[in-house]
Amino acid sequence: MISRAALSRGAQLAARRQASTKLGQRGYAAAASSAPSAFTYETTDVAGVKTATRDSHGPTTKLAVVAKAGTRYQPAPGLTVGLEEFAFKNTQKRSALRLQREAELLGGQLVAYHTREALVLEARFLREDIPYFTELLAEAVSQTKYTTYEYQEDVERVIHIKQAKLQADAAALALDSAHSGYLDENSIASFSEAVYAKSNIALVGDGATTSALSKWTEQFFKSVPASPSGSMTLNSKATTYYGGEQRISHTGGNSVVMAFPGSSFGKFKPEIAVLASLLGGQSSIKWAPGFTLLSKAAASSPGATATATNLAYSDAGLLTIQVTGSASAVRAASQEAVKALKSVAEGGVSKEDLTKAVARAKFDALVSSESGVSTILAAGSGIVHTGKPFQIAETAKGIEGVSAENLKTAAKALLEGKASVAAVGDLHALPYAEELGLTV
Amino acid sequence: MSAYPSLAPFVMKRPWLRNMLKPVANWYANASGYRQLGLRADDLILEEDEQVLKALKRLPPQEAYDRVYRLRRAVQCSVTAKILPKDQWTKPEEDTPYLMPLIEQLKAEEKEKEDLDSLTIVKNH
Repeated sequence: MISRAALSRGAQLAARRQASTKLGQRGYAAAASSAPSAFTYETTDVAGVKTATRDSHGPTTKLAVVAKAGTRYQPAPGLTVGLEEFAFKNTQKRSALRLQREAELLGGQLVAYHTREALVLEARFLREDIPYFTELLAEAVSQTKYTTYEYQEDVERVIHIKQAKLQADAAALALDSAHSGYLDENSIASFSEAVYAKSNIALVGDGATTSALSKWTEQFFKSVPASPSGSMTLNSKATTYYGGEQRISHTGGNSVVMAFPGSSFGKFKPEIAVLASLLGGQSSIKWAPGFTLLSKAAASSPGATATATNLAYSDAGLLTIQVTGSASAVRAASQEAVKALKSVAEGGVSKEDLTKAVARAKFDALVSSESGVSTILAAGSGIVHTGKPFQIAETAKGIEGVSAENLKTAAKALLEGKASVAAVGDLHALPYAEELGLTV
Repeated sequence: MSAYPSLAPFVMKRPWLRNMLKPVANWYANASGYRQLGLRADDLILEEDEQVLKALKRLPPQEAYDRVYRLRRAVQCSVTAKILPKDQWTKPEEDTPYLMPLIEQLKAEEKEKEDLDSLTIVKNH
């Protein structure tokens, strides 16, 4: 820690205020959880639908149906994207146009997106409109028509545009690919039957009271079947980590990803979270590389940026170091990045850096549970996978206890295990895993 | 809403009127001659129309193929100034509307769009 005298007066005041809020908070924080109560989700089971709500008493509400139907679970490639595109299309009761216009009139927004694990249909609206949007979500989930002409006129076209966009993005290419060879409106409709069942979805409300959500869910989600029907079954094999190396030639840019088994939602490893923020890469202050090891590593090769992230999934996680920039800069920066990781494994982390990294990791955990997309996704995804929401805020306490010794063993384990290395771009210049000193 | 003003709904609602006019309608359909060329009534709808073009795109592949086959056969008959042998005439039970429902669906979509575009909001407070 930096000595108090070295700080400016403003910083001293902030530090003092922080200490005093800690005292004040103890009064109303929930006994069982270390996180503030407005951050945690309350779960209930309403007529078979698992719901989670938290209420920050704001004027707006986010309500989402989170289904266990991410790309990981699709039985054939492209089905998740197809189902995502069919969200809020013609239903038995209303046309897609009417749904959109009505939502517009109420000032609401309808969004559908997917991750590797979950498919999310989300509505954002003013607090008092909860009955309307609960009905809308239930309708989108259980009564969509999946017509041929909508597939041909809208869905297929958008999927092709998305594919083209992905192909042009060197950084994203290392992470995903979608293919529409197995795709038509019939396969999407039978996939929807397997996905949209009460046992497979969760309804997550952010900014709604539990009583209101329960009331309307009970009324409108009646038509959703209790268990999956139809011929298709989800591909729900457990994740296995293999490691490996992949190299893809691309003219649109250069990117190298070095990945290691990381921390998952199911089994949270605080030392990985701290390691990710210690490696970091994104400076939190302007015009300076900051304290993180990767930004220092990238500073010596201009034009390259290196960032470390922990991608958490329900039963597995991936700690990734992604380097982008010009080919030669990426080459140099990736070598520096591996050196930085090795220095952590040898215990070369200063006490000050560790304090900063712990603080940063804790801040990231808390700020990401404050608002925005990730909380709904994490809560909903947690419910459909394990029955209880992933409370990101609760991990903050574990992060505080990470010591230099923990970090050293974690980094050592990563380097001794198998890495996954992907290189996209100018393959003549981009390094092989072996050149980087990683085993795959 | 249909493509042209029609008395059909009025007639269909009154069984006595329908029973009276049905033989006349059947006679008219047979006398108009398209069945002798192997066509269906919906094959005669003008194609030069945005909505009909869009409806044609929405036809299932088999229906679209059959339609083109019927049209080409009819054109061939017309060129040679002949009609088909009697067993290839369109039977009355085969003469079903296959394109009209799609056109009506498109018109309904269009109307809904116009209605929503010109809607006025009445606040109930």
